[in-house]
Amino acid sequence: MRVAIVDDEALARGVLREYLARHDDIEIVAECANGFDAVKAIAELAPELVFLDIQMPRLDGFEVAELIGAKTRLIFVTAYDQYALKAFECHALDYLLKPYSEQRFEQALAHARAQRRAPAQLQAAVHAAAREAATRAAPLARVLIRDGAKVHVIASARIDYIEAQDDYIRIRAEGKSYLKSQTLAELEAQLDPAKFVRVHRSYLLNIDGICRIEAATKDSHVAILRDDTRIPVSKAGYQKLKVLVG
Amino acid sequence: MSGPLSKRRGAVVVFLVCIALGLALASILARVAHAPWLNAVLLVAPATLVYAIGTGFSAFYLCRAYPLNKRQPAAIAGVLAVAALFAGLLWATLLQFLNSVSLLLEVSWLGVHLAQSLLALFFGLGVLLYCLAAAVHYLLLEFVRAKTAEQRGLEAQLVAQEAQLRMLRTQIDPHFLFNSLNSISALTSIDAAGARQMTLQLASFFRQSLSMEAHKKITVEQELVLIRHFLDIEQVRFGERLQVALAVDDAALACLLPPMLIQPLVENAVKHGICGLTDGGRITLAVRRAGSLLQIEVRNPVDVDQGPAGGNGVGLENVRQRLAGAYGHEAGVHWARRGDAFEVTISMPAQTGDTEEQ
Repeated sequence: MRVAIVDDEALARGVLREYLARHDDIEIVAECANGFDAVKAIAELAPELVFLDIQMPRLDGFEVAELIGAKTRLIFVTAYDQYALKAFECHALDYLLKPYSEQRFEQALAHARAQRRAPAQLQAAVHAAAREAATRAAPLARVLIRDGAKVHVIASARIDYIEAQDDYIRIRAEGKSYLKSQTLAELEAQLDPAKFVRVHRSYLLNIDGICRIEAATKDSHVAILRDDTRIPVSKAGYQKLKVLVG
Repeated sequence: MSGPLSKRRGAVVVFLVCIALGLALASILARVAHAPWLNAVLLVAPATLVYAIGTGFSAFYLCRAYPLNKRQPAAIAGVLAVAALFAGLLWATLLQFLNSVSLLLEVSWLGVHLAQSLLALFFGLGVLLYCLAAAVHYLLLEFVRAKTAEQRGLEAQLVAQEAQLRMLRTQIDPHFLFNSLNSISALTSIDAAGARQMTLQLASFFRQSLSMEAHKKITVEQELVLIRHFLDIEQVRFGERLQVALAVDDAALACLLPPMLIQPLVENAVKHGICGLTDGGRITLAVRRAGSLLQIEVRNPVDVDQGPAGGNGVGLENVRQRLAGAYGHEAGVHWARRGDAFEVTISMPAQTGDTEEQ
């Protein structure tokens, strides 16, 4: 079994390395000290199982989990996070609480080996848990987009608009476009509703970027952005904008 | 006035006052009405006693029912005026009645010739004495209220401070404890001596923080011992990622400050600074005394991609409140983010054991 260890603390990685060393059939293919390295290593080396710490600099464990594919099984590792624990329990995901005994470690490992959930179902559970843990405190402050082994971090405030396209969404920010595998409704639920408004079935708009709103037809309008981009506004969307923008 | 002893003493005092008052009034009566002394005493003393008891209870309940600070002054004056008139009338009537009964008995040492002018005089005295009794009651009530308020204020202050420190203790991030234990777990197999050392550091940190009392100040030197334990522990976790620079005036070491005022700032610097940086950075703590001011500065690098330091707010606001509680306007805390650094500065009066005010 090919395994990766992701934790920003060398000593914490050492505990896992020590426990894993007792298993002849396990090969540790990567040890990563931060989320960016983890996404890259997982994409390139395709481990079957990842021990993933939650508290890490710049990209936390949940963000890494959302960025990697559905084939990888995960065991989350955390010192203390009551919200995350609830999310894990709710979605039947395995986790280890630091400090943990070798017995507890063996239990989690056995459970991961026996994992029989369909990849799509598992990924849905991971994403749901990540969203619940991430939005417990505040709206999403940034959006992460994976491009092969590379990760783009877009501050929410810099996003101009988001357009739905089949199974993807196109995020427009600072003159560039990014494709992300997610639904518009999911992202809408995560972003600050005082800033981002669903002005159309296919568009989520940052109201800070609006220059003006023009009537397009008798029943519809169009929002003109600072760079002259035109975003269609439905009747319902127009009502929302009137409430927020005045 | 509380407790049986106080009540008994109070009763004795009241009784003695009544006796004195009765004798004084009897003296007045004897002189004005040219009546025998014995006759005057036997008439006035019982009446005075009854009057005093009735007046005492009446004034007591009216004063409590009409507190000075809760009712209209006009209403208070009106009620007391009516009560005083009734008291005076009651007393004059009582004297008249007792005297009439005494005269009917036709005993030489009972009864006094009471003119209408004398009754009017006693009526007036009754009214005045009632007013005096009411005034005394109000004074006593106010005295008791002020004493109770002061006591309650002190107790509330103490409770608030204890609650604040209790909250502060829980604000020590649970991650700190569990991550530290995890590091010790790792060290047991690769560096047994290191594991023992870290265990002792952790024990020292918690023993010292748990032993502090909210309302007792400690020296900068004592706070620094706690901070050094904390940083030594975090150093094991973060290794080279955590750099520390301490710059402390010798003159500042003896200065007093509320316990665990600086430690949360250092913890914030680790949690929201070093933790968020892949390469870590340097935390700088400077404590200096400038004349009558003690200045504390904590600085740490932050991730430039990170949004406004949201997580720092609660801890810093708590520090601000504690400073306001301890020093009023003489102390202040300011924080700002400059580029890739976050900085917190505290100014407060430089007090030592010699100048301790509390």
